[in-house]
Amino acid sequence: MDLTYFFFLSSGLFLGWSLGANDVSNIFGAAVGSKMLKFKTAALIASFFIIIGAVYSGAGTTQTLSSLGEVNTIAGSFMVALSAAITVYFMAKTGLTTSTSQAIVGGIIGWNLYAGKSTNLAVLLQIVFGWVVCPFLSAAIAVLLYFFFKRLINKLHIHVLMQHQFLRIGLVLSGAFCTYALGANNIANVMGVFVDSSPFKEVEFGFLHLNAEQVLFFLGGLAISAGIFTYSHKVMATIGKNIIKMSPFIAFIIISSQALVLFLFSSESLRQTLHALCLPAFPLVPVSSTQAVIGAILGIGLMKGGRGINWSITGKIVLGWFTTPLLTLFLCFTCLFFLENVFRQIVFIP
Amino acid sequence: MFHVKIPLFANTKKLEHKIDELHDKIIEISMVFKKAFHLFLQEKRSANYRKLSKEIKTIEHDADVLRRSIESSLYLQNLIPDFRGDVLELVENLDKVINEFDEVAHQFYIENPDVPKVYHEKMEELVSEVCECAENLAFASRAFFRDFSAVRDYSKKVYFLEHESDKTTAKLKEEIFSSDLELAHKLQLKTFLSEVADIADLAEDCVDQLLIYVIKRDI
Repeated sequence: MDLTYFFFLSSGLFLGWSLGANDVSNIFGAAVGSKMLKFKTAALIASFFIIIGAVYSGAGTTQTLSSLGEVNTIAGSFMVALSAAITVYFMAKTGLTTSTSQAIVGGIIGWNLYAGKSTNLAVLLQIVFGWVVCPFLSAAIAVLLYFFFKRLINKLHIHVLMQHQFLRIGLVLSGAFCTYALGANNIANVMGVFVDSSPFKEVEFGFLHLNAEQVLFFLGGLAISAGIFTYSHKVMATIGKNIIKMSPFIAFIIISSQALVLFLFSSESLRQTLHALCLPAFPLVPVSSTQAVIGAILGIGLMKGGRGINWSITGKIVLGWFTTPLLTLFLCFTCLFFLENVFRQIVFIP
Repeated sequence: MFHVKIPLFANTKKLEHKIDELHDKIIEISMVFKKAFHLFLQEKRSANYRKLSKEIKTIEHDADVLRRSIESSLYLQNLIPDFRGDVLELVENLDKVINEFDEVAHQFYIENPDVPKVYHEKMEELVSEVCECAENLAFASRAFFRDFSAVRDYSKKVYFLEHESDKTTAKLKEEIFSSDLELAHKLQLKTFLSEVADIADLAEDCVDQLLIYVIKRDI
């Protein structure tokens, strides 16, 4: 394995870095912003669980992305990830809600079109279904959790101070679960396109055994964790200031619903259990954690009478479903042309 | 068999206990004040009254210590950051009610006013209303920490008793100023009546804030 591989991998690592800086801030922002949790504690918990989630449960969503398009050269993977990262950056600048999941799907389709390979429409439909369902499901779960915990608190007459301590523990546990689910669900966006061209071999550290794919995911996890430690503090402070009016209890509900949604869309064992029980299971697709958060906030807002809800944000979500993949597709297709013809790189193997 | 104390919960439990104790102090001071006032009407500034007045002072001092301890613990343990300010304000206001009881009892001891027998019954009625009002404030505030729905019930009682105390004060003032007492004596009695009634007013202000806190917390 030479150093050029790491150069090509850098676009994926950059995507991972931005995921750590932005998406993890959505999870711990309210807790850190309201001083319920110290940043260092939040960053340590998030880094540990995101790596665990990515390494041990990231295979499901990665498989789905691979069946959408098997990017078979490292230069091709580099461009897919880079175009996704650029699109996410510019979409975020314009204030439109975007997600790495939508960007990477657009990039893969762009590569498919450039390489003249067919896109699996059934898988694409599954993925789009996941995007559309995600905010609605998150809203429904948030409302259910809100009623359940509100009732529990009213029934048990727990002292306000003790409620606070339970809430603090709840925020840590739900945050840990949520970062685990985020790692499991979104590692496919960061490293999924590099799986087919990965030169890594399986490694063993004593009792720890990682296969080639897991080594790649571990690297992705480290990039996410770097994003958490280097930049998420800034984003968390902004989130904390902006949504400080959101009580820690509501923050707990939102994080928990986000965690459950991400888990539903990424857990292979849950999928198998549901299949065994003859119940419909969710497809293992990478979804947007930001849109899950927005869905949960809207759900609680609607339940409280819908006053003060900024409805334009729902329009932005829907717009994001189309614009993000289309922009990435176009960007990826164009850049692949330059990479192949100007920089003389092999971007696909027919 | 095993008794494991988790420091996180043990410290919070301690603070919970201190807040409960502060509420107990309000109930205690109102009961002692009622007893002391009854004694004052019978014996004026006697040794027994002095003893009760000292008891009131001790309760007030203990409440001050508790208030300071609650305030510092809330910051040290970094508890309820989202509404710590409200709780601190509430604790301060509860302490103001306790201070007012002490001030009135002490004022009676210093000035030793002569209360004509004809006003005794009405005066005792006023003190009884004011003390009950303060006790209901303690119940409402205690409920604020455990059971929001009960805050409203106790608040209603506080409002009712404050209104009753206002009516009793007005009647008494009217009677005093239409009597043959000297103007200085009338003014002295009026000042005492106003000070006693102030305790109920403070309790009412405290409950007003409590209800706002409940609305804020319920969002």
